[in-house]
Amino acid sequence: MSDHKPNPDEKPGWADTPGFRKVFLGVLIVSAIAAALAGLNPAWKNPKAHFEVEAFFAFFAFWGFACFMFIVLVGQHLRKLVGRKEDYYEERE
Amino acid sequence: MAALLDLLINNPAIILTIGAAVTLVAPRHLASPILLVFTAASAVKLYSLGLGEYGAITLFGEQLTTVRLDMTSRLFAVVFHIAAALNIIYGWGTRDRGQNFATLAYPAAALGGVMAGDLITLFIWWEIAAITSVLLVWAPGTRATYISGMRYLSIQILSGVLLLAGIVLLYRETNSFVFAEIGLRDADGAIKLSALFMFIAFGIKAAFPLLHNWVQDAYPKSTINGTIILSIFTTKLAVYSLVRGFPGQTELVYIGAVMTIFPIFFALIENDLRKVLTYSINNQVGFMVCAIGLGAINGAVGYAFGNIIFEGLLFMALGAAMYRTGTSKATELGGLYKTMPMTMVLCIIGALSISAFPGTLGFVVKGMIIEGAAGFNLWIWLTLLFASAGVLEHAGIKIPYFTFFAHDSGKRPKDAPLGMLVAMVLGAAMCLGFGVYPDPLYALLPDQEAVAKYHAYSAYHIVEQLQLLLWAVLAFAVLVLCKWYPAEVPSTNLDTDWLYRVPGRSFITWASGASRATWISLWGIFTGRLQAVMARIYSVHGPEGQMSRSWPIGFMALWTAILLAFVLVLSLRA
Repeated sequence: MSDHKPNPDEKPGWADTPGFRKVFLGVLIVSAIAAALAGLNPAWKNPKAHFEVEAFFAFFAFWGFACFMFIVLVGQHLRKLVGRKEDYYEERE
Repeated sequence: MAALLDLLINNPAIILTIGAAVTLVAPRHLASPILLVFTAASAVKLYSLGLGEYGAITLFGEQLTTVRLDMTSRLFAVVFHIAAALNIIYGWGTRDRGQNFATLAYPAAALGGVMAGDLITLFIWWEIAAITSVLLVWAPGTRATYISGMRYLSIQILSGVLLLAGIVLLYRETNSFVFAEIGLRDADGAIKLSALFMFIAFGIKAAFPLLHNWVQDAYPKSTINGTIILSIFTTKLAVYSLVRGFPGQTELVYIGAVMTIFPIFFALIENDLRKVLTYSINNQVGFMVCAIGLGAINGAVGYAFGNIIFEGLLFMALGAAMYRTGTSKATELGGLYKTMPMTMVLCIIGALSISAFPGTLGFVVKGMIIEGAAGFNLWIWLTLLFASAGVLEHAGIKIPYFTFFAHDSGKRPKDAPLGMLVAMVLGAAMCLGFGVYPDPLYALLPDQEAVAKYHAYSAYHIVEQLQLLLWAVLAFAVLVLCKWYPAEVPSTNLDTDWLYRVPGRSFITWASGASRATWISLWGIFTGRLQAVMARIYSVHGPEGQMSRSWPIGFMALWTAILLAFVLVLSLRA
């Protein structure tokens, strides 16, 4: 592990300021909603859609959100199954 | 002699190999310029050759084509040159002769493989790629890298042996060494043994599921530059071979789909970010394999081209952070954006590109695969969209987030050295350049008819992709704000390599002990019996033995009379 420690007197970097975080989150939310709403425009829909699900409102938004949540919330439990201490192989080779 | 010289100078792979060999004897400080000059010379030769077949030779009565440049092989040859040049610039000033040699000899082998017009030439370069690449695994010179390199070499050689077996069987069937479409099944739908051997050989190098773990075992153990070089060539040579040998093979759709999914979960829980990127290689090659199975050859080779650029850029950015901090572990990194802003920006460009945000190279090339999947079936299409969200998670967010942001590690290193920055800037420029203006890439794709029908920047494609990615990023924000995103933990995660590193190793140790004990026991029995026989012979023929005694004259006279009588009887009967 690193023996470096952050200096408590150091000024926070731009990415650590609450202002930046608020702006970042705001821009993200607005753009995500705008992208979802953009799907309502018939001219921006796939004219040669292969599946019915593509016609649902904001299907791709829903799928992206759901998949990401699933990957993180379910995937983290894999660690319980395959996780071992860091020098697991060093002890055995 | 002139024909041989012509054969050598007309093969870009040989030019690169010569360049690599020159670094073994040239002064160390000149190694990087020499490597770059030979790469440029090889690129010029590639350009001047144009499409066609070159370097025909006859071996044991068989015609071999050592250089075949068609649209498919040329695309790989071009991107291999780009990658080799970027790697040389990135590692500018490296003085380790072994590494400098491998920096060009290994790409040369991969280049020779993709340009091979016949299976014998392919096999030769295939094996050279295995041998030259292991030098990079061994480069750090530790016991761990030695053992890992031996495992890596064994698996690569196994792939070569299977390829050779497949070639021999295929020659028996077709009487030809031409490297063309092989197909897994015969006309009756039965699997051909020759094709199966070659399919598995390609599958090992492409890191098919369950055959994949040599990537995570070997690549992250190399040097910073070595890992980047390794990440590019072997798996892409395998992708090319699958494109050439098994296009449209349905089995590849399912294999590729599995490849895109399972690494996502291993990448999520992995603490070593270089290992995260090696899982990303599996995932990315999965997209290519799937595309080959779908028959979306433009998607497969275009994605290979793009992946080499943007995944290479991520490896480079992480390598720069590692160069400055000495670690690639998420638990020991973080907060580097404060003092490595340029590397951070370049890393984010790579992350945006691999996630396929509009305006980047990844967006242009991934669309071809997703479109191909939509024409196949719903589940494969949904799987690839799922995998796209997974790419965003582990490569698009995890790598830049844990390296440059997340918790502050307190480390305040300088930004990347000039050579690294130049290579990363060039990589990032290609990510954005080809993303905004993909026509030069389109011109290299093999199926120009399909290119004419493909419109990456159609409104619906942009909207769909933005919905998928922005909402996935939103999910990440929710997880972080709710503190549901798992903290990184220093650990080793078991994968399929556990089978041969722990129980496999125990079995080999047991088998070796058992065979030694069996041998000792059999030798003991043999020598015991031999000693008994010798003792018996000695007792009969030795100085005290019965056979050493002198026989009495009367006894000998009696036997002579018996023998004469026997001869007399025989003579009378005749």
